[in-house]
Amino acid sequence: MGEPASTFKFLGLTFNVGNMISILLACCVVLALVYALSRHLTLKPGKAQNVLEYAVDFTNGIVRSSISGETSRTLGLWGFTLFMFIIIANLQGLFLHIDISGVTYVKSPTSDPVITMTLSLMTLTLAQFLGIRQLGYKGHFENYLKPFVFFLPINLFEEFTNFLTLGLRLFGNILSGEMLLGIIIGMSHGGAVMWIVSFILELVWTGFSVFIGCIQAYVFVTLSSVYISRKLELED
Amino acid sequence: MFSYSVVGAQLYVGDMLFVMITFLVLMWLVKIIAWKPITKMMQDRSDKIVNDIDSAKESRTKAAELAQKRQAELDKTRDDANSIINNAKQNGQRQQEQIVEDARNEASNLKSSAEKDIEQQRQEALANSRKDVASLSIEIASKIISKELNEDDQKGLVDSYIEGLGKQK
Repeated sequence: MGEPASTFKFLGLTFNVGNMISILLACCVVLALVYALSRHLTLKPGKAQNVLEYAVDFTNGIVRSSISGETSRTLGLWGFTLFMFIIIANLQGLFLHIDISGVTYVKSPTSDPVITMTLSLMTLTLAQFLGIRQLGYKGHFENYLKPFVFFLPINLFEEFTNFLTLGLRLFGNILSGEMLLGIIIGMSHGGAVMWIVSFILELVWTGFSVFIGCIQAYVFVTLSSVYISRKLELED
Repeated sequence: MFSYSVVGAQLYVGDMLFVMITFLVLMWLVKIIAWKPITKMMQDRSDKIVNDIDSAKESRTKAAELAQKRQAELDKTRDDANSIINNAKQNGQRQQEQIVEDARNEASNLKSSAEKDIEQQRQEALANSRKDVASLSIEIASKIISKELNEDDQKGLVDSYIEGLGKQK
């Protein structure tokens, strides 16, 4: 935020070129990864297939641990794609960060609040949609009046905070990782000793950020599943 | 249309739209490339495992059944063999007894017929000797008598004797 960015207007909408490139790059990496891992599928899995199946089982496990029944099966693809996209997006900025004359073109897409909030918004919209499909309009909106009518503002506010926290948690974690990495790299210009120190620090921090990035992808998908599952059942 | 500028912070509504669309497209592509085949494969595998377990169970029961059947057949065969051997033994025993019995019967038959023969021969010999004695005594008697007969009587007697001889020949 507040940094210079390269933007253009199209149909009255403002687009950020850096974000678009980063998103497209992340999508391409995800697709390439998934494509490479899903070749020559056999009943007796090979190495690549095992990796992919493990990932699918993992995300299916996340989704099924909070959502039960038929819906969890249809949400498997959503959970898998979301997890893969976020984890790649989180890690992308740690390995590839391209600035051209102060404007960032390639970074973690998830270090931009607009993108994380959009993902969060999509999740909550999906939750509303699935809730209505499961319970009907009446059942779905009556859930806002439970345990009793006066909880309506609290429930509405909770929806809003869910949306905010889900997006901002991801954004904050990834942005801080990238920022600190940038600062450490900046330190390395201060001479040989500083270069060595910053090299070690960078190694450590990159490792930690990779860890954080994975954890945040997991947390995002888990919380999304929880928010959706809460919309799927009638509250007492 | 593409007003290109470097500006500060602002809400990039376009980016939001872009993220949504790219995410949906990504989801669609992932579905086509990997999700469907991998899910199908995993389903196939779990089906296969279930089938394998079922068929393994089935073949195990079948094997047990077969083993039982074989055991029963083996027992039956052994019984059969035993009964055959026993039959043969009994038959042999019976035959042996039969043979011995026959031999004994034959021997006793032979003995009795031999005894009969001997008796008959003895009787015959006795009868012959009695006859011989009778004729001899008659001869002697006739010779003794003939000396005391007259000529006519003697002649008649001789004739009758000769006649008797001729008849005897």
